Amino acid sequence: MAQADRPHGPKASRWFSLRRSQRESAIDLLFLVPTLAILAGFLFYPLVYGLVLSVHETKGFDLTVFVGLDHYARAIFGDAVFHQALLHTLVFTGVAVVLQTGLGLVLAVLVHDVRRGRTFWQFAFFAPFVLASVTVGAVWKFMYAPYFGIVPTVGSAIGINTLTFAPLGDAQWALWAIMAAFLWRFTGFSMVVYLAAIQALPREYYEQAVLEGAGRLQQLRLITWPLLWPQTFVLVLLTTIGTLRIFDMVWLMTEGGPSGATETVATDIYVTAFRFLQVGYAQAMAMILLVVILLMTLVEYRFLNRRAEAVSL
Amino acid sequence: MTRSRRLRPATVLLSVLAVVWLYPVVWTLSNAIKSSADIYRAPWDVPWPPAIGNIAEAWSRGQLGVALANSVVVTGLTVTLVLLLAVAGAYSLTRLRPPARAALLILILAPLIIPTEVLIVPLFSMFRSFGLINSLPGLALTNVVANVALATVILTGYFRTIPQALVDAARVDGAGRLDVLLRIVVPLARPGILAVAVLVAVLTWNDFSGPLVLIQKPDQFTVQLALTRFSTLYATDQGLTFAGMAIVILPPLLLFLVFQRSFIQGLTAGVVRH
Repeated sequence: MAQADRPHGPKASRWFSLRRSQRESAIDLLFLVPTLAILAGFLFYPLVYGLVLSVHETKGFDLTVFVGLDHYARAIFGDAVFHQALLHTLVFTGVAVVLQTGLGLVLAVLVHDVRRGRTFWQFAFFAPFVLASVTVGAVWKFMYAPYFGIVPTVGSAIGINTLTFAPLGDAQWALWAIMAAFLWRFTGFSMVVYLAAIQALPREYYEQAVLEGAGRLQQLRLITWPLLWPQTFVLVLLTTIGTLRIFDMVWLMTEGGPSGATETVATDIYVTAFRFLQVGYAQAMAMILLVVILLMTLVEYRFLNRRAEAVSL
Repeated sequence: MTRSRRLRPATVLLSVLAVVWLYPVVWTLSNAIKSSADIYRAPWDVPWPPAIGNIAEAWSRGQLGVALANSVVVTGLTVTLVLLLAVAGAYSLTRLRPPARAALLILILAPLIIPTEVLIVPLFSMFRSFGLINSLPGLALTNVVANVALATVILTGYFRTIPQALVDAARVDGAGRLDVLLRIVVPLARPGILAVAVLVAVLTWNDFSGPLVLIQKPDQFTVQLALTRFSTLYATDQGLTFAGMAIVILPPLLLFLVFQRSFIQGLTAGVVRH
């Protein structure tokens, strides 16, 4: 018996001679394998396949001729619609990040000040987050309707002639009309993140500030704002990534119109791929969008992370 | 007292803002029981008798029964899979040591930075060759990929708050990993798991671009697709559109109402942990 066991001996003993902690972590690692497998199959593989698509001419969804970087060159140098879409996406994202974060902070500070009824305030401002883009889009379209909608009605009630004004049909206003709905939907998210953090801030700082004669605005600027950097950092990052991909609210409210005034990169990709069936070209635009997202994330990370870490120490 | 006088403007401002914020929600719900002619009345101005018939008509004309069943299947599958993956993954991430942990965390975080919109074309192409177009499990799979990262991150934050000494003690006493996970970690992290379940359920229920691309047969429509059909087919009957929307937004609104506290707690705790 002892002899029969011998061949297994060295291997088995090497396994057991691995540092116990290494063996333990190897088994702990197994718990992560299912997630990694799913990501490999449905995130990393499509990413690679997307890269392949983007350098090929396509017929329907099938590859035909390899065209190298032609699609990329066309998007970057020769496609005015794509340029517009990229511009809209960047501007929309920049404004959304600033307003959603800023407004979220203002709401959080107000709720914290009022103290009473926190559950109600949270519900009021966060409820739109729970609604689907289909509903938000439809409701805001109704509210923007000329003559009847609440927005034109309120406008004319306060003396502005807005009765025939159709924000979503007006190339100058459409993007900002969508922005209002977007902020309405997502600001509550920034608010609850800030609110949770504000309530955990040490009260002594504020007591000391009051003793030294600091007013409320000074407290906000000198204590609250700097101490909330970790939250601001995460919110700016999440909002940037979430807004650069914006598709459904735009698609549901304007389909990118009127005459391309609200075209974003994601709506451009969708139309190019699924309406015009220029699949390879659409994917090249998608890859460019991905690069933009990665770059923006990286830049924001570099600029904001250090300040955020300094606070959390 | 000076204190209450100072607080008053904040209360007034906040109340005004809350009315502005809630107006569209209340308007949507109250329009569900108005005829099209009365839609632009104020939300509290519901004519008597209310047009209750709207709801039943929206239900049958929009085939909302089928759509709700489809959405329940997709949401149920997604939440179950995401929870299984994220609980195991988060356990793994809390147990691993720094170098390996950092590398894996980045890998797990990738879906947060690579949105579905960027992959929708290759995904559609893949799904087409697998015969997964019009498949509800297929749609659930895309939602799993979109949500598993966030879920794992939130749960990792939660699992970190559980004293590792507790886990180690149980391991020394001879408990296996699954025992520890199911008997100690999961019960202690229940608020976090609940929050993740609610969040993923709401996001999946509300998903629009996924079904828009991957589902084409009307009998496989999710609720969101069924609603878009409303606004194109029945554009003239706005009361009906609102009735349909009210039916569809009620489940996530109720879920949020019931679990508001743990939902927001889980969300805010997880979001800033890293």
